[in-house]
Order: sequence, then structure tokens, then C-alpha cells
Amino acid sequence: MSHDHGHSVVVPAPGPGLLPHTVAHHFDTPTQEFQAAKLGFWLFLATEILLFGGMFAAYFYYHQAYPETFHLGGKQLNWQLGAVNTTVLLLSSWTMAMGVRSAQVSDKRKLLIYCGLTVIGAVIFMVIKIIEYKAKYEHGFLPVFGGMGYDEATGQLAWYKDYHGVMAGVPFGNLFFSIYFTMTAIHGLHVIIGAGLILWIMKGAAKGRFHAHYYLPVDLVGLYWHLVDLIWIFLFPLLYLVP
Amino acid sequence: MSAHNHAHDASSAHGHDAHGYGPHHVTSSKVFFNVLVTLLFLTIITVAASRVDFGAANLLIAMLIASVKASLVIAIFMHVKWDTAINKIVFLSSFLFLSLLMIFTLSDQATRGRSNPIHKMKAPVDWQFVQPKPQPANH
Repeated sequence: MSHDHGHSVVVPAPGPGLLPHTVAHHFDTPTQEFQAAKLGFWLFLATEILLFGGMFAAYFYYHQAYPETFHLGGKQLNWQLGAVNTTVLLLSSWTMAMGVRSAQVSDKRKLLIYCGLTVIGAVIFMVIKIIEYKAKYEHGFLPVFGGMGYDEATGQLAWYKDYHGVMAGVPFGNLFFSIYFTMTAIHGLHVIIGAGLILWIMKGAAKGRFHAHYYLPVDLVGLYWHLVDLIWIFLFPLLYLVP
Repeated sequence: MSAHNHAHDASSAHGHDAHGYGPHHVTSSKVFFNVLVTLLFLTIITVAASRVDFGAANLLIAMLIASVKASLVIAIFMHVKWDTAINKIVFLSSFLFLSLLMIFTLSDQATRGRSNPIHKMKAPVDWQFVQPKPQPANH
């Protein structure tokens, strides 16, 4: 460590309207800062894969145990809305990738435009998700908060009501909807957090903080957003198109 | 560690660091657009494949297509293809550990009750769903 304490490396702005970046004092070089932050973020994303992975394991376990419940449950979802949401998330993943690219080439205007488009994608996704949730709630499929009822097939008390009896004849109909709501709600939470982070990026981008010499936060938020897309790529066929 | 070796660090790892302020790999817009088109096309294939009844293979086909889509997102959109070896190992190892969870859980479930009868082993719980006695309607 040849740096004096209290003296930090300052990365100059690559052009007018952009701000210089001061490397955190505990790093020697901007590259060291970049790689340390990125490794930490990849570790975090690995834990995210395992968080969702546990839920996917639960999905596959119960799908194998009660295939007819999942078949009928999947039919209750609107696959057209699911397909629209898949398209929206794929498009927003692309706009985010283009946003990171804009930051890498110091294009402030395009960075703001692409981030803005990504947030619009997040809003469209959540609006469609709320429309879907409302329909499921009205069918009495929301576990716990929808009230209790008797499972027609098992005769047992279930933590959901099936007002129209569409799940009658298959065991544990609430199982499918518990998994559906848990997985999509935690995914939706990620969408909301991701949109908030992108808005934060836009705030910094408007000031000119991000450019070819310093785009680390844009890169990391981009990775988070792609993870949200990644999870949905598996959720869509498993929940909406279950065979 | 030298304070002024950052340009060397970056260029040795990536070979095209123009400024020395971080490792850059700027992917061309064309590559990103081609990936987007491929992802949208594979989404149509996913929906189309689910309309045909392949029996138990439907789930497998859907997961195979999803895996191809996920690989594209990870490699290109998330820049893993151009990332450092340690970052690749950290992220991709999560899928290895996830596969351990999946393989042992599902192979256990698939082989329940198939233990060697010589050992007279029995599952402690009957995992098969049993049709229960009908209950009186008392909603």
C-alpha cells in the first residue's frame, strides 16, 4: 500500500457535463474498486439464485407429488397476460443492457432514456401483475388472507376458498396457489426494488456521475435487473404453461 | 501493490482498456439486439411447445428452452462471457449448488417406497395421496 491515508485517487470526467469520481479511500485504483464491488455483487446474486432455487425445488417436489393439481391450477392463470409480461421483462432487460452500454460510452442522454424505458417496463409489469392478483383474489385463491374453506377433494380445512369450485376434484388446490403467490410476490418485490434502484441511477446520471471512467453502480443495478428477468424466464412456463 | 498499476491491471485482464479507469467490454448494440430477438423468438417457441401434448416431456422441453434463454441473458446481457474467472466461478457455482438441492430432493421423492424388500424397509408415512372419507357440508 503506497497510498497515504487521506489521499484518494480521483478519476477525471471524460467530457463536459460529467463529474469526476473519487475512488473510495480504501482502494488503491479504480480497477481494484470496480473488481471488489463486482465480486461482492456476484456473491449477492448467487444468494439470490439460491433464495429462488429453494422455491423452485418446492415447486418441482409438489408438482411431482400432485401433477393434476398443478395442471388444473396452471389453467386458472391467464397465460396471455403472462406472455405479455414475459415480453415486457425481456424488452426491459434489453433496454437495461443498452443503458449500461450508454454509460460505458459516456452517453448521458441515452443512459437516461434507456433507464426510463426500463422503469416504464417495470411499471407495466406490476400493473399487469396487480390485475392478475385481483382476479385470483376474487376467485378466493389468495391463501390465508382470502379466508378459509373446505378443500372439496380432501375434505380438509384449507387456507383458501375456492368460490367457484374450479379446483374441486384435485387434492390440495391451495398448494398451487400458495406457490404461485409466494414466488410471484417475491419476484414482484424484486421488480419494485429494481425499479427504485434504476430511478436512483437516473438521479445520478442526470448529474453526470456515470460515464466511461465510472459506471460501476449502473453495471451492478443492471445485473440485478437481469436477474429479475432471469427468474421470470423460468416462472412463466412453470406457472402459466404447466403441462 | 503499486498505486499506479491500474492501467496495467486492466489491460492484462481484458486487453482493451482504453482509459485505465476500469475493465471495459463494450458490447455492440447489434449483439444486444440479436439476443433480444432470439429471446422473444424462444418465448413464442415456449408457448407453442406447451400447446402440443408431449406428455411428461412438456416440462422438460419448457425447462430446456428456458435454460437456453437464461444462458443468453447471463452470458451477453450480464456480460459474464467477458467477466473475470473469479466472478464466473462465484455466480455459476450457485447453479451447481442449486442442482445438488434439486437432484437429491427429486431423486429421493421419485424412489420413495422402492427400497429393497429384503430389508423390510417402509416409509414412515404413506406418501401416496389417499382419497379421504367424504365430509358433511358444514361451511
